[in-house]
Amino acid sequence: MNVAEKKARVIEPDSLIGKRIPKMDAPEKASGRTRYIHDINLSGQLYGKILRSARIHALIKSIDVSAARALPGVHVVITAADIPDQRPIGVAKDHFPLKVGRVRSQRDEIAAVAAESEEIAEAALKLIKVEYEDLPVISNPEDAIKPGAALIHPEPHGADGSHLHLKQGMSIAHKGKPDNIAMRFDYVHGDVVQGEAESDVVVEDTFKLHYVTHCCMGVSGMIAEFDASGNVLMYSNTQVPFLHKREFAEYLNIDPARIRIIQPPIGGGFGSKLDIYPFEVICLYLARAAKRPVKMLFTREEEFLASPTRQPVLLTLRSGCKKDGTLTFRQVHTLHDNGAYTSWGATTPFVMMQTFSSLYRVPHCDYHTAAVYTNNPYAGSFRGYGNLQATFAIEQHMDMLAEKIGMDPLEFRLKNAQDAGEVTGQGMSFKSCGFKDCITTAAKRSDYARKARENAANRDKPGNIKRGIGMASMLHVGGGAKIYPSDGCGTILKMDDFANVTLITGASEIGQGSETVLSQLVCEELGLPISAVTVVNNDTAITPWDVGVHASRTTFIAGNSAIGAAKKAKSKILAVAAKKYGTAEDELDLRGGFVIQAASGEVVVELSKLLRNLHFQDKAELVMTTFYYEPPSVHQDKGFKGDVSAAYAWGSQVVEVEVDTDTGIVRMTKVTGAHDVGRVLNRLGIEGQIEGGVVMGQGYALTEDLLIQNGVMKNPNFRDYKLVTAPEIPEMDIAFIESMDGEGPQGAKGVGEAPSICIAAATANAIANATGVRMFELPFTPEKVYRALHGQTPKLYWKPWKAE
Amino acid sequence: MTELKHYFAPTSLDQAVECLKDGDVTILAGGTDLTPQSQAGRVKIKHTLMNIRHIPQLTGITLEGREIHIGALATITEIMEHPLVRQHLPVLVEACDHFASDQIRNAGTIGGNICNASPAGDTLIPLLVLDASVELASMPEAKLYRHTMPLSTFFVGPGKTRKSLCELVTGVRIPLPEQGHVARFFKLGTRPALDISTISIGVAGTLRDGVLSNARVAFGAVAPTPTRAAQTEQALEGQRLDAATIEKVAAIARDEVKPIDDVRATAWYRKEMIHNITKRILSHVAQA
Amino acid sequence: MSLKHDIEFTLNGVKRRVSVDVTMNALAMLREVIGLTGTKYGCGEGECGACTIQVDGVSLNSCLMFAVDCDGRNVTTIEGLANDSKADALRESFVEHGAVQCGFCTPGMIMQADHMLHKHAHPDEACVKRGLEGNLCRCTGYKKIVDAVVACGAAEVTP
Ligand SMILES: Cc1cc2nc3c(=O)[nH]c(=O)nc-3n(C[C@H](O)[C@H](O)[C@H](O)COP(=O)(O)OP(=O)(O)OC[C@H]3O[C@@H](n4cnc5c(N)ncnc54)[C@H](O)[C@@H]3O)c2cc1C
Ligand code: FES
Ligand code: FES
Repeated sequence: MNVAEKKARVIEPDSLIGKRIPKMDAPEKASGRTRYIHDINLSGQLYGKILRSARIHALIKSIDVSAARALPGVHVVITAADIPDQRPIGVAKDHFPLKVGRVRSQRDEIAAVAAESEEIAEAALKLIKVEYEDLPVISNPEDAIKPGAALIHPEPHGADGSHLHLKQGMSIAHKGKPDNIAMRFDYVHGDVVQGEAESDVVVEDTFKLHYVTHCCMGVSGMIAEFDASGNVLMYSNTQVPFLHKREFAEYLNIDPARIRIIQPPIGGGFGSKLDIYPFEVICLYLARAAKRPVKMLFTREEEFLASPTRQPVLLTLRSGCKKDGTLTFRQVHTLHDNGAYTSWGATTPFVMMQTFSSLYRVPHCDYHTAAVYTNNPYAGSFRGYGNLQATFAIEQHMDMLAEKIGMDPLEFRLKNAQDAGEVTGQGMSFKSCGFKDCITTAAKRSDYARKARENAANRDKPGNIKRGIGMASMLHVGGGAKIYPSDGCGTILKMDDFANVTLITGASEIGQGSETVLSQLVCEELGLPISAVTVVNNDTAITPWDVGVHASRTTFIAGNSAIGAAKKAKSKILAVAAKKYGTAEDELDLRGGFVIQAASGEVVVELSKLLRNLHFQDKAELVMTTFYYEPPSVHQDKGFKGDVSAAYAWGSQVVEVEVDTDTGIVRMTKVTGAHDVGRVLNRLGIEGQIEGGVVMGQGYALTEDLLIQNGVMKNPNFRDYKLVTAPEIPEMDIAFIESMDGEGPQGAKGVGEAPSICIAAATANAIANATGVRMFELPFTPEKVYRALHGQTPKLYWKPWKAE
Repeated sequence: MTELKHYFAPTSLDQAVECLKDGDVTILAGGTDLTPQSQAGRVKIKHTLMNIRHIPQLTGITLEGREIHIGALATITEIMEHPLVRQHLPVLVEACDHFASDQIRNAGTIGGNICNASPAGDTLIPLLVLDASVELASMPEAKLYRHTMPLSTFFVGPGKTRKSLCELVTGVRIPLPEQGHVARFFKLGTRPALDISTISIGVAGTLRDGVLSNARVAFGAVAPTPTRAAQTEQALEGQRLDAATIEKVAAIARDEVKPIDDVRATAWYRKEMIHNITKRILSHVAQA
Repeated sequence: MSLKHDIEFTLNGVKRRVSVDVTMNALAMLREVIGLTGTKYGCGEGECGACTIQVDGVSLNSCLMFAVDCDGRNVTTIEGLANDSKADALRESFVEHGAVQCGFCTPGMIMQADHMLHKHAHPDEACVKRGLEGNLCRCTGYKKIVDAVVACGAAEVTP
C-alpha cells in the first residue's frame, strides 16, 4: 500500500453508545431457527414426567408403581423410596425433590417416570396408585399463625408417637419446624414513636397483593445426561449456572467439577429461574437411573401449577407527615404467604424494606415481616422482587397524605425526594440520583397537574366513563446487590487474526439483550463494529464465573467486567503499536478497525494487520485478556443496613385510565415514564425492556390473577389467567434521565426490573383520581372495581401481628 | 364406548350421514373445540373420527328466497366478511368481530359453534335474536333426511343439544330481517375478543315510531345454555323506549337471569351487568 | 397403540407424505414427526398463538388442528417463509424495530403478521393490534411488534 495514501486516511470519531442497535440474535429468532430447550433432542433420549399430588395436604400411606413399571416403553419409575440419599432443596432446605411421607401442596412431586415417549410416560403416571390420608388444609396465612394451628412441617415422630431426637443442624426437611413461621425480618431506623408524635396527620391502611406468575412463553424444561464416567451434562435455563452447579453436585453427591451446564436460549425468565426446583433434580435422578439422556418439559398447565409465583402479601402500613409536607415515619407489618416451601419469595423483604426505608426521605421506619407456611403454591423471585408490593402501598399513601394536608401531590413528592449525595436511614448511598428529575419529567410530559385537577372536577359529571391520572415512583438496586459472598462477573476476551472479538462472559442471556450491550461496550473500547463480536455465554465449561442474572445486575456488573477485559486488550494493542511505530501509547487510539493517531484520527495501521504481525512474529503473541469485576458495594449488617448496591435506579410513572362505572372495566390509556438509567447504552434495547415491563405491570394491576382456593389453583391456563394482549396496551411515552453513574459502565445503571414496579400503584392513584374511590386490593378486575364503586367492598384491615 | 378405530373424511353429504348411522362417530369440523378438548381428555373420541371438511354441501353463504343460508362449515371469518351477512345481518358481524382471535376465526366454523353448545358461544346470541333455525341431516333409512329446528329449542345444557347422535348440522337459516329491524350485540370483557364472555346480550326487534315490536332478547353465560329471555321480551314488546321503560326492562332482565358464580365472575356481578348493559343497549336502540 | 393414518400435503412448497396418529395435533406433527421446530408450543389451547401456521392461505393455531386435517392442504410454517421476499421484509422489520426479545413468540407473531399483511397491505396501528390479539408476548409489551408490522406495511407504499 502507498504510504502517502494511507497517511491521508482519517477515521472520524463515532460511538455506538445510545444508538438503536438491533439484538444480535434477533435474525435467528425471527426465522424460527433458534433452538430452545424444547427444540433440542439427544439421541437415545427418554422423556420424563412427574406425578404430582392429588391432594393438598395429606400423608402418603402407600405408593404402588408396579403397573407403571410393567408398562412397555417405561425405563424407570422412581419415588422417594428409590432415592434414599435425597438431600433437601430450596432456600430453606425444607423439602425433598420427591416428597417423603407427606404432601403439602397441589404441586408436590410424588413419583417420576422416564419412558420412550411422552405419551408412554403419561400413561405410566396414570397407573401409579397412591393412597392418601387427608390432613386439614391451611390456605390462609392468618390461620397459619394462630396459636394451635396445624403445622405444615411438624417434627417427625417415631412409630410409637415419641419425639425423635434429631441431630442439631439438620434441615427443616428432616427435623420439621415447631411453628409455621418460615422467615422473619425486623428492621428499624430512627424511632417511629417519636416520628408519630411529630406528625400532624397519620394514615393507616391494609393492602392486599395477589398471586401472579411469570408466564414465560417457553415452558420450563431440561435435559440431563450422564456420560460413561458419571459426568453430568445438563441443558438448563437456570439464571444462576455457577451457584447451581455446586448445589446440583451436592444433591447428586458428586464433585461439582463433574457438572457442566449448557444454557440454550431461553423463552423468558423474569426471575423464575433463580431457584432450583424439584423437577430439575428429579430429571437428574431419572437420567442417572436410566443411564440415558432424559428430557423433561412442562405442559402449560404444569407450568402454572409447578412454577413459583410472585409473593402475595398482606400488609398494614401506617405513615405520617407534618403539615408542611415533611414525611415523619413509616411503620409496616407484612404477612407473606410463603406457601408450602420456601423459595426466594420469602426473602423479598430485603427489597421491600429498602423501599419502605428509603423511597423518599423517611426519618423513622419500622418494618416487620413474617413469612408463614401454608398449603398454597410457593412464591419465588419475580422481576421487581417485592418492590411492586411495597410501592403499591407507599405511593397510595403519598397521595393520601398529600390530600390530608391539602398539599399538591407533586409538590409533596418533590419535597421528600432525595438528591445525589444523600445516605438513607438504611445506609444506601445515592452517588447518582435522578429522582426529582424523574418526577418532574414524568409529570410534565403527561401534563399530570392539569389533568389531575380536571379529572377530579369532572368526577360527578354525567356519563359512565371517568378519566383518571395517577403517579408513582420507585427506587431499585441498579448496580447489582451484594447478597452472596461475591457479586462479581468474569470475562475472557480474545481477538483473532482478523480483529474479531470473542467475548466469553459469565453473564447469561435471558432474552434481555445483554449480548448486544456487552458487545457494544467492548466495541466502544476497541473501536470495532458490532459485527466483529461473538458472544459466548452459555456453557459453564467455557465461561468464567458469575453470580447469576438477578437484581438488574447484568449490564452493570458484566458490562464493567467486559469493559475491564477490553481495556486490557486495548492497552496491550496500543503498547505493541507504539513500539512498532515509534510513538507513545497515549498518542494512539483504536477506531473503525484501525490504530489511529488519537489527536488527528489519522490511520496508523489496520488493527487486523497489527494483530497478525504480533501473532506471526518470532515471539508470537495473541491478544487474550481476562477480567473479573467485583462492585464496590458492601454486605448489609445484622440490622439490614449497608450500601448493598453500587448504584440505585429511579423511575416515575404516570398512568392514565378510563373507568367505566357501568361495568368496572378499567382501560389503561397512557403510561408516561421517566427512568434514571444512568446512561442509555442501547436505546432500542432499553425501550424494549421498559415497554415490556410496563405491560407486565399493567397485567399485575388489571388482569392477572392466579386464583387459589383452599390450596387449589383454579385457573392454570391462559383462558382464565389473563395476560395483557396487544389491543389492550396503553400508549407509552418513555423518557430517560441520564444521571451518568460514576461507577456504571459508560455511566449506565441496571433497569431490568424497574419498569413494572410503579404501574399498579399509579393505577390505584389514577382510579382514585377518576372516581374518588381508593382500592387497596389487587388486581383491579372489572368486578372488583365495580364492587368498590358500589360500596360493596368491606374495608380491609389486618391487625399487625407481632410475634414475640 | 369403543376406542377410536377409524378415520373417515367423506366427500359428500350422503357418505357422511351414512357413516353417522351407528351413532358411534365424533364429528370434526374446524377442530378449535375438539382438538383441545380431546387432547386434554375432556372429550373421548368415539369409534370413528369423521372429518367433514371435504363435504361441498356444507359450505357457502347464500340467499335462498327470504332466508340467508349459512353452511355449517362457514368459518367465523367468512361470515364476518361476507357481503350478504354484512348487508343484512350486521349484528352477526358484530358478534364475529368479538370472537376469539383471527387464527381461531379462520378455523372455527359456525356449525362447530352451534354444536359445541357453550352457554358463552358468541354467534349463538345473535342467531337466537335473529330467529335462526338449525338445519339437520341424517339417514334414518336408506335415504337422506333433512329437517330444521328453531335454534331457540336446540340447546338443552352445556355442550348438549337436541341433535341426535346420527345427525349432522348442515347449516343455519336466518330469515331476512324486515324493514325497521334493529339488532344489537354486546359482549362484556376487558379484551376486544379473545375472552370467554362474562355475559353477552343480544337484542332485536322492529322499531317503528319509537315502538319496539317482535322483541327478541337473548343472554349468554348466565344459564346452562344461551337463552332467550321471555319475561324481558314480554316487557319490551310494543313499548316505546323511553327512560322509564328501559329502566323497568333492565330490572326485569336482572331478575330473570339465574347465573352462577365461577372463576370469571360472581352471579351478583353478572346480574348487575345484565341490568346495566341491557339498559345501555336499549338506549342505543332507542336512538337508532 | 394408537390409530395411524397416512396423509399427503404440501409443506412449505414441497409435497409430503406422512403417517400420523389420528389424535395428534398439527403442532406435534410438525415438531415431532417432521422435525420443524420453528413452530412453538406455548399453551396447546389456542390462547397464545406461538404455534401459528398458515393453511390454504389463512393463519391458524396448529395446536387446534388435527394433523390428519392437513391432508390435501397447503401448509406453511415459519421455515417456509424463508423463501418469500415479502416475509424477508417483515423479518427485517422485526429485527430493526427491536420486536424480538426472548424470541419465543416471534415465529407465531411473524406468521400471523404475514397473514395480516396479505389481507390488509397497509394496516394501521389499531388494525395490527387487533390482528395480533391471539398472540401473547411476555417480553416486549407488544409495542415494538406493532411498530414493526405497521412499518413493514407502510414501507410498501413508498417504493
Ligand atoms: C382459545 C379459544 C378461544 C375461543 N373463543 C371463543 C369465543 O370468543 N367465542 C366463541 O363462541 N367460541 C370461542 N371458542 C370456541 C370455538 O372456537 C368455537 O366454538 C368454534 O366455532 C368451534 O368450531 P369448530 O369448527 O372449530 O368446531 P369443532 O371443534 O370442529 O367442533 C366442535 C363440536 O361440534 C361438533 N360439530 C362440529 N361441526 C358439526 C356439524 N356440522 N354437525 C354436527 N356436529 C358438529 C364436533 O363434533 C364438536 O363436538 C374459542 C376456542 C378457543 C380454543
Ligand atoms: S400453542 Fe397453540 S395457541 Fe398456544
Ligand atoms: S419476545 Fe419473549 S415472548 Fe415475545
